[in-house]
Amino acid sequence: MDSNYIASLINSTLRSTTPVLLVALGSAICSQVGVFNIALEGQMLIASFTSIVVNYLTGSVLLAIIAGIISGTIIGAIVAVVQVKYQAADMVVGNSLNLLVAGLTSILLFVILGVRGSFSSPDLIPLGKINISFIKALPFIGRVFADLTVVDYISYVIAILMYIFLFKTVAGFRVHSIGINKEAAESLGVNTLRIRMAAVAFSGALSGLGGSVLSMGQVTLFTENMTAGRGFIAMAAAGMGQNHPLYVIGSSLLFGAAQTLSVSLQNIIPSQLTMTIPYIITIIALSVFGYRTRKQKSMK
Amino acid sequence: MENITKLYGSLLANDNVSLTLDKGEILAIVGENGAGKSTLMKILYGLEMPTSGEIYINDKLCDFKSPMDAIRQGIGMVQQNFMLFNPFTVAENIVYGKEPRSHRIFFDRRKAAEIVRELCRKYGLEIDPELKVEDCPVGLQQRVEILKVLYKDAEIIILDEPSAVLTPQEVDELLKTIKGLAALGKSIILITHKLQEVMDVADRIMVMREGKRIAEVKKTETSIEELSYLMVGRRLAARKVEKQKSGKNVLKIENLTYVTPEKKNVLKGVNIHVDEGEIVGIAGVSGNGQSELIQCITGMIAPTGGKILLDGKDIIGRPVWEVRYSGLSHIPEDRYYMGCAKDANLVEVAIMGHHIKPAYSQKGILKTTEIRKFTRNLLTKYDVRHSSLTQKAKELSGGNIQKLIVAREIEHGNKFLVAAEPTRGVDIGAMEFIHDKILEVRSKGGAVLLISSELTEILSLSDRIYVMYGGNTNGEFTREEATSEKLGLLMMGGKLNE
Amino acid sequence: MNNDTQKSFIKICLKAWNALKQPIIATVFGLLIGAVLILTTGENPINIYNQMFRKSFLEPYYLMQTLTRATPVIICAIATAAAWRAGNINIGVEGQMIIGSFTATACALYLSGPPIFVLTVSILLGMMAGALYSTIAAALNLRFGTSIVICTLMMNYIANYIASYFVNFPLKDPHGDPIAAQTAVIDKSLHFLKLSSRSTLNIGFLIAVGITLLFIFISQRTVFGYESKMTGLNPVFAHYGGVNQRQVTLKTMALSGAIAAVAGICEIFGVKYRYIDSMFVSGGYAWTGLMAALIANLDPVGMFFASTFLAGLQVGGQSIQRTSNIPYQMATVIQSCITLFVSVKLTFDFIKWKRHAKTGADKEAD
Repeated sequence: MDSNYIASLINSTLRSTTPVLLVALGSAICSQVGVFNIALEGQMLIASFTSIVVNYLTGSVLLAIIAGIISGTIIGAIVAVVQVKYQAADMVVGNSLNLLVAGLTSILLFVILGVRGSFSSPDLIPLGKINISFIKALPFIGRVFADLTVVDYISYVIAILMYIFLFKTVAGFRVHSIGINKEAAESLGVNTLRIRMAAVAFSGALSGLGGSVLSMGQVTLFTENMTAGRGFIAMAAAGMGQNHPLYVIGSSLLFGAAQTLSVSLQNIIPSQLTMTIPYIITIIALSVFGYRTRKQKSMK
Repeated sequence: MENITKLYGSLLANDNVSLTLDKGEILAIVGENGAGKSTLMKILYGLEMPTSGEIYINDKLCDFKSPMDAIRQGIGMVQQNFMLFNPFTVAENIVYGKEPRSHRIFFDRRKAAEIVRELCRKYGLEIDPELKVEDCPVGLQQRVEILKVLYKDAEIIILDEPSAVLTPQEVDELLKTIKGLAALGKSIILITHKLQEVMDVADRIMVMREGKRIAEVKKTETSIEELSYLMVGRRLAARKVEKQKSGKNVLKIENLTYVTPEKKNVLKGVNIHVDEGEIVGIAGVSGNGQSELIQCITGMIAPTGGKILLDGKDIIGRPVWEVRYSGLSHIPEDRYYMGCAKDANLVEVAIMGHHIKPAYSQKGILKTTEIRKFTRNLLTKYDVRHSSLTQKAKELSGGNIQKLIVAREIEHGNKFLVAAEPTRGVDIGAMEFIHDKILEVRSKGGAVLLISSELTEILSLSDRIYVMYGGNTNGEFTREEATSEKLGLLMMGGKLNE
Repeated sequence: MNNDTQKSFIKICLKAWNALKQPIIATVFGLLIGAVLILTTGENPINIYNQMFRKSFLEPYYLMQTLTRATPVIICAIATAAAWRAGNINIGVEGQMIIGSFTATACALYLSGPPIFVLTVSILLGMMAGALYSTIAAALNLRFGTSIVICTLMMNYIANYIASYFVNFPLKDPHGDPIAAQTAVIDKSLHFLKLSSRSTLNIGFLIAVGITLLFIFISQRTVFGYESKMTGLNPVFAHYGGVNQRQVTLKTMALSGAIAAVAGICEIFGVKYRYIDSMFVSGGYAWTGLMAALIANLDPVGMFFASTFLAGLQVGGQSIQRTSNIPYQMATVIQSCITLFVSVKLTFDFIKWKRHAKTGADKEAD
């Protein structure tokens, strides 16, 4: 295994991490305001679909991303209204939306693009890759940072901005407090309803961005159900990262690595078995993490 | 406040109540549980809307639609359940809502700490701004609440049952604080049912009963006995308890220790015994290890050392059902947290603990007819007001659910009963009823361990009394030897002069 | 009818209306949205719906198809409820179904002996496999605090991939279509008895009915049912009363997995007679069952009918796909809209109740 191979593994990890990271940040902000949003999967999937459609119909990547973000936000908004404002059961709302999006995207795939199962076309414009010449020339680092998209970089910036917002600003302090003690925040004059709804809608936007980069980043196509549980993996990543934006970067990278590992082993082990790796790693990570939290608590 | 009336459906919580408060005055509102005191203050603070009546602040008519309106008019309230953010620091909690900023959007946490120190200086209080609230003892947490209110420049401060959760030392400090604030010109309303404190700090006292204002007196013109009479509406006959010889030993706790997983030393070698036909009371402010003691005795947690002998058998390490089966019943201190499930129906609440007995189930199958009969029996015998067996527990009033729980536990006919705060938050009628039933257990030869933070309850029912402080008992008295002064002193951690 | 009987009859009608009006209104809304979607495909919604409902509930053959289709859904709903009742949010019924029924199929294919023996052993081993699979999640939760929600969900994907591996390699049907990823057909002697010669309706449906009745009995009449329910409502109360929570968690999750296995077994032994790659994922039985369980609020009879209704939608959807351009997922979309609207309706009532409660009823004065 030469260093170039390792560099390309890291590169692949970075690219696999981005969609998970974005959705995980969305999950984190929902948890920060005390909302259990299980519709992340649907928020992501609809954006994956919408971006491809808009991409195909307009040929503009920018419009495709915007469309993805908007569609994710719409689903998030539905969650906000139905679940947060009207307090419908979280499992029913979330699962209904996930199933709805799955079915809807399949139907619209047929109605708009005329195919079933999966759609790809030479007319689709992939997300632009950033390659700075002098970095690309560097031996190891060059390979690590090759062909990353704007969104890959932006996702880390978003994470850092979220960190600053939640922990350094007044507004973020109050947002953060809602998840700790909603009653107290409410009694102190904070409009918890509006903030929670906004947070959920924002998670929709983030998931939308994640969905867009999923269908236009490493590949440029749409397959039915292409999110394959990433929404839930993102929830696990957020939980492991204690809903703290910077730690979530770490846990998301873990899952990106698992994904890369599974792909790279496909030459040796049948793909059906390697595909289980990210899911198994999620379970192991959650268990180790849960165990360590318990241990830490008892050592205080 | 004039002619405040508050109707909850058919429940008249406040019936045409009026009160006035002058600047720098301390007004105490006293009354039993259910009298309507908290409701009245919630209306003043904007948490509730009156069905009718008006509120005037400085002669200006006010309409409070939310606490924010009340705060703007200079009213602050410290509620029984603190509205704090445990992982945040003291300073963060105090300045919440009016945070000091740098560059418009950033939270200036250093300035917040300064502000807190400044507040402390101004009002003569002491607190470390950098401490996390979750690391503060309850008394300090309450001080945070008070500082919160002062930071918002409250001129009228409402304190709802503040001493319920404090140790006697903390109560003294609180009373000093209250007097200090009044001296600085703040007007204070104190809701409480602890008459000693009232006589200590209040200028005027308003007595409420069953939603009505019964009386309003100046402290100098009244006494504890008179207030007590007014609160209850009749002279409380001092309960006459027949002296009874106690039989053989039922519960013996030897050198019980318990250290929590977080390495906190909660029980430090407790020694207690309870015999047949006696009520042993454990007096003490909650938080001195009583809850953990109860949970060790009932098998809910495993102690770290010592022995608990029930009828001669060591029950440490035995699962809860086995401990109960060995003859233990338990009235829990928090009826909603532990005593029932709010969404369970009355039958389900009543049968818990009994359901594995042969009378009510066989080979895993429940005998539903017998179970319903049993439930109906309990409800009638203990006069539990309900509308149907399928009603959910949350629909019953606190007093009635407590009666059902007491009924369930006593009707086991077990030889040993642990009664923890059996009449907390319960109206006078239910309280007397429950006390009667506990005495009945005793007269039938049962052994009762009574844990309560209400000294009067302990003094009136117990044959012997231990005082619990700091994880151990620091005194043991018989009924004749015990006085509230001696007990109060020990509850504070003091020592008796021999 | 004299006056009293008339009055009570009206009362019952009103009660039924009150109970059913939410789902009915929600269904209407769901159908409206579906209609809009249908229009985008260029078809006439009225025709489509007409066909859908005829070919799912009204025509006898299709009604039987619906009941067949409903069988695994009903059983999955009950499997879900068995765990949720005790407070364990199990969304891994799909995975447990896959593992359990695949094990049973493998047994049926490779075990030799008299049919009754093979069938019984296959079913039992299948149920044990399903129970074991779900218990892993329970054990992880008890030992490490791993979230059952996420764990069981992950295990869905793992189960499907594992089964997919087996079905593509070791257990692949050597005699059938080389492209098809499926096992061999199980012996005819092991097929479930059919209830009708014209359709696929088989005794699996009766098993579903039986499991529903069994579930009702266990929840209401047994110590286990009582202790599970109390653990779900207030675990501290259950612990205080002597209930062993670890046991409850493990047993309810195991039961859930075992029942899930039966759902898959009914579909394989009763309809398809072989395991086909991803058959349960594309069928969506477990998720439909979950939805039915949620909107019926874990009530057994409600779940039975909700499952049947949702299954009917899917049968209708499939018949539509055959005769028109509309993909069968239309049924899923309509179904999701309905469940979404049901959840909203439930909360409008909740809000009305809350407003009423703030000014009356169960407030405690102090």
